[in-house]
Amino acid sequence: MDKLKQELGLFFKDTQMDIPEADRLLVSVKKEQIISILKFLKGKGYDHLVLISCVDWFKEKEFELVYILTCYPEKGHIILKTRISRENAEFKTVIPIFKNAEPYERELHELFGINFAGHPRLTPLFLEREYKIPPFRKDFDTRKYVEEVFGPIPPVEETE
Amino acid sequence: MRKRELEMFFGPQHLGMVGNLSITLQVEGDRILKAETNPGYLHRGFEKLMEYRSWIQNFPMVCRINVVEPDSMEMVYAMAVEKLAKIEVPERAHYIRSIYLELARVGSHLFGLWAYANMLGFDTVAQWAMYHRDLILDLFEELTGARVYHIYLWPGGVRRDFPEGFKDKIVNTLHSIGGCVPDYDSTFFNNRLFYERAKGIGRLTCEEAKELGAVGQVLRATGAKLDIRKIEPYAAYQDIDFAVPVREDGDTFSRIWVIRDEMIESVHMIFKLLDKMPQGEVYNKVPNPFKWKIPKGEAYVRVESSRGELGLYMVSNGGDKPYRAHFRTPSYTHGLVILEKLLKGASIADVGNIMISLYVVAPEIDR
Amino acid sequence: MDRKDVKKWVKEPGKMGHKYSFWVVYFCTGCGIIEVPPVITSRWDAERFGIIPAATPRQANLFLITGYVSLKTLRPIIRTYEQMPEPKHTIGLGSCPINGGMYWDSYNTIKHLDKYMPIDGWIAGCMPRPEAIIVAITHLWTLIDKGMAKGYVRYREQYKYYRANQEKVLGRLEWPPLFPIKELKAQNG
Repeated sequence: MDKLKQELGLFFKDTQMDIPEADRLLVSVKKEQIISILKFLKGKGYDHLVLISCVDWFKEKEFELVYILTCYPEKGHIILKTRISRENAEFKTVIPIFKNAEPYERELHELFGINFAGHPRLTPLFLEREYKIPPFRKDFDTRKYVEEVFGPIPPVEETE
Repeated sequence: MRKRELEMFFGPQHLGMVGNLSITLQVEGDRILKAETNPGYLHRGFEKLMEYRSWIQNFPMVCRINVVEPDSMEMVYAMAVEKLAKIEVPERAHYIRSIYLELARVGSHLFGLWAYANMLGFDTVAQWAMYHRDLILDLFEELTGARVYHIYLWPGGVRRDFPEGFKDKIVNTLHSIGGCVPDYDSTFFNNRLFYERAKGIGRLTCEEAKELGAVGQVLRATGAKLDIRKIEPYAAYQDIDFAVPVREDGDTFSRIWVIRDEMIESVHMIFKLLDKMPQGEVYNKVPNPFKWKIPKGEAYVRVESSRGELGLYMVSNGGDKPYRAHFRTPSYTHGLVILEKLLKGASIADVGNIMISLYVVAPEIDR
Repeated sequence: MDRKDVKKWVKEPGKMGHKYSFWVVYFCTGCGIIEVPPVITSRWDAERFGIIPAATPRQANLFLITGYVSLKTLRPIIRTYEQMPEPKHTIGLGSCPINGGMYWDSYNTIKHLDKYMPIDGWIAGCMPRPEAIIVAITHLWTLIDKGMAKGYVRYREQYKYYRANQEKVLGRLEWPPLFPIKELKAQNG
């Protein structure tokens, strides 16, 4: 992992890298560099895309896209992170590099509202109806929505 | 020129479908031209619900993602919480967790064998498999109190120790199941009809499987010897040695044979673990679990469940509830990417064959 | 058979034949499906009670709704229920159809299934044991004897309210109303 960190530092400027434990590499990059870093890592043997996820940082008004890669016969994984804006959430697709990224991007489009340019099939995957705010964002209050649509629910006491 | 194409729905209410999933097929005569999986019938918004409940309240929620084998889900969540909060687990708890997971693996493979044998028409073998799975669920009921959703793992160990005489009960049950393996072989696995129905159907090469993101026994049936229990060992797997069964061809026949070999290997592993188990405590106390705040950070942990690599990416914001949890379930790529590729060019009679041999469980896709 | 049974069979042969041969629609609706194969296979054999799975809804007269119902599943469930011939019965398995259960604050599951479909009996538990399912079937026999399992009659008589609830939660329905609703048409037209 240390060797990989040095090589990445040589080729790509403006990245923040961290090895918190053995066999784990965390890389934060700007969004313009994601596609070239993914191609570079695939060439080095990290050819299994495990997950494309998204974290909604509501207070900072940004989405954080997370890509996790592993190389199968070896231990450890690499987590790539980048930030995109929350108001017009748009990004490029990574299907030309990893073929199994298609359902992950479709799910993020439906549940968070992120638009992936170049995706062949951005149709609804899980949800039955349209929602005004995409359901997994932090400003969608699911308990209030349930009360409006399905009727009143019995009160729950929260102890703080 | 008359149009000969037809659009069919292999929908949720169908005699060949196990679970609540639907496939839209475009068919010409008997050959399938295009298949599209249509998930979402079991979507509950799990990851959103987890953000409203505290760390301990999420344990009963997390089991219910995978209905057939809820134990690997509990394991991966407990491992993520321990990694974020930096808690150690005592030695005896590691061994108990490994035995628990291996028993769940045998039960889950028997359920898959019920579904597959029922679909092919071998009803006798299906009844035997379900009966043996019930014997294993009796063991779970004595240990934890419930047959299906046992909430037994706790961050820092397991909830309670083995009761008196439990070790002998495990050994007796596994001997009675293992003694029936020659019957299973002569009735189903070495049967000429199974060979004719399954050989050469749904073939996948090793490069295609790796490119499309296959994991678990779909990958091992194509010839790649990869198992997370050997690559990145967790719990007590580094203390015993076990074999990883592999087959060459990549078709339905090889996948079912890999399942059979894995079951037999799990039974041998449980005997080895029972011999080596040390005495001691079974959990480390957690300070006030109902008002527990975990420091800021993120973690990705993975476990080898009976279907493949199961992973969890969890982010904590320093509060008493998870900020974001995202499960990477093995049925996601198998059901949405590989199934569509394998069904192209197959005949309608083989849809159930291919789908059940890929071991797709519908609630894992939708969460 | 002893004398009581012979008397019952002679008085009402239709009802006795209907009770002792329930055919269940094969539809795996939710997570309760994990406890239905143990009921059907050899350990808790349900065939001695006359229960076997039927392939299509046109050949069935019992519908087991196993577990929670999401919005997307509600459409095939209503279509399957409307295709079954009368007299038909439904049983809700698990705590989720009763009041939402564990997913009471989810945006995609139904909280009270009774508003959208008539249910004859509930089985509590998560998951209920296979013996509980068999006890529920024998309970349903007692209800049929007393004439209290009339879910399908309620559906026919109060179809206006069931259809209005279904349309409120699902939006537009693609199939026409099963029974004619004269008042609704007058309001819309």
